[in-house]
Amino acid sequence: MSRDRQDLRERIVMNLGAVTARASVRIVAAFRERSWLLGETLFPILSMATFVLVYRGLGAPRAFESFAVLGGAMIAYWNNVLWSMASQFFWEKEQGQLQLYLITPVSRMSILLGMAFGGMLATTTRAIVILLAGIFLFHVPFPWERAPGALGLFLLTLGALYGLGMILSSVFFLWGREAWNTVTLFQEPVYLLSGFYFPVSALGTVAASVAGFIPITLGLDGIRQILFGEAAKGFIPVVWIVPIQAALLVLYLLLAHRALLVMENLGKREGRLTIRGG
Amino acid sequence: MRRTWETIRAGAWIGWQVEANWADPFLFAAFAIAKPLATTLILFLMTKLVSGGAVGAEAFHQLFIGNTFFLYVTEVLIGISWAVFRDREDYETLKYIYVAPIRFLPYLLGRGLTKIGTASIGVAFALAFGGLVLGVPIRHDVVTLARLFGVTILGLIGVAWLGVALAGISLVVARHSINLNEGLGGVFYLLCGAVFPLDVLPAWVQRISLLLPFTYWLELLRRIVTGKSYSGILRSTDDGSLLLILAATTAATVVGGFFWFAWCERTARAKGLIDWKSNY
Repeated sequence: MSRDRQDLRERIVMNLGAVTARASVRIVAAFRERSWLLGETLFPILSMATFVLVYRGLGAPRAFESFAVLGGAMIAYWNNVLWSMASQFFWEKEQGQLQLYLITPVSRMSILLGMAFGGMLATTTRAIVILLAGIFLFHVPFPWERAPGALGLFLLTLGALYGLGMILSSVFFLWGREAWNTVTLFQEPVYLLSGFYFPVSALGTVAASVAGFIPITLGLDGIRQILFGEAAKGFIPVVWIVPIQAALLVLYLLLAHRALLVMENLGKREGRLTIRGG
Repeated sequence: MRRTWETIRAGAWIGWQVEANWADPFLFAAFAIAKPLATTLILFLMTKLVSGGAVGAEAFHQLFIGNTFFLYVTEVLIGISWAVFRDREDYETLKYIYVAPIRFLPYLLGRGLTKIGTASIGVAFALAFGGLVLGVPIRHDVVTLARLFGVTILGLIGVAWLGVALAGISLVVARHSINLNEGLGGVFYLLCGAVFPLDVLPAWVQRISLLLPFTYWLELLRRIVTGKSYSGILRSTDDGSLLLILAATTAATVVGGFFWFAWCERTARAKGLIDWKSNY
């Protein structure tokens, strides 16, 4: 085996190790603190329940309640991307660990991929609980027979969503205290833009198209269409959504790789990678 | 008394610096109004979709008022308890407050005043947006505004002291338990019928709702702003009775919050938790 090939093999093994290690930390952490488990499952259920009851109070068709339940489950992923992916480097900086990542010989993408896989797995348990609570506590209709079709689009959406999270994490690389506030700025406005609680077509063509750059927007729209057909008031046909989500996945991963390099170099030049409480 | 007031003022000033000095005024204003604006529009679109294009006007007006004023609950309730964690663990200044010749409780109330101020920006913007853009009829004669001001202040006293009670809990628990405090905002949002009539809740949940001051607060605010009652189970209760119940539940919250906080504070000092660092 040539020296180059051996080096490449070693690098791949090391980076895969970094992905596994970072993912396992995330999974263990997600189940270690019981108050987090409670906070991340029970409280989102309450939020979802509120919107189900809004529709019930308005006398809406039952399918709308299902939209709110699906949106409530997907919010778990968006919040995970925001708080545990995008702003993760900010937390690491606050705890003095960011420099440890930077001196390791692995790609930052491997660390972020590990965070993404771990975050997805941990969040999926929360999302399932929210979904089941909606179905069994509030008796919202859920066509199980169409679920396998929706699952494929759901996985594609998650890939693109966590790719976006990686781009955001590179931006948050440099931020100090404003990162915290900016994350909160990305919560409710994105709940609105992505149509977590209502079909995104209600926003109108222009706003819904712009919101389409957030992968969860079209993903959720497509999943609702697969599950509920015309009642979902879809924005664009599902056959368009699949290639768009695939394109976003590739685009966001490429952009994330580039953005990480740029922001890391900028951070080093400006000396902001080790500043705490800034 | 003068010392107490000075401590409240200093707490409010520090709170303002923590809340606002990270950004320029434009960005800070965007931050303050983003949440109420987004939730208002979510409810607007939900109502519009259900009513098939013509927004179910009256239903939306009631949701709008409840949602807008509930912003005070989430911001102030969570903000006060967060101040404990921030000072104790992020800035590590809590121990210095305790060695200074001031009491912690007035300082904490000052921090609460800041949150009331920042929440007021969002509430005022949402009311203006609702009135001017979404066509919510907001009565604004002098008598209505005076009643609105009085009831809002009364409700805020209850919110602030419940926040103090939560801050007491924060003194004796680790930082990561903030999830529980934040979740309480969601519990109250659900239980006090901020965005739906209490009538859609099961009877046993309604009984819990009727123990909360926020339930009466929001019902009163709705009646003052729109002139109409919302909750079926409170429809037979007149405004004066609602006000009395609100005053009584608020007084109970103040007394309960004061003693609960004092007990938590004594426990935290006895166990050496004032400079606890539980961040991980």
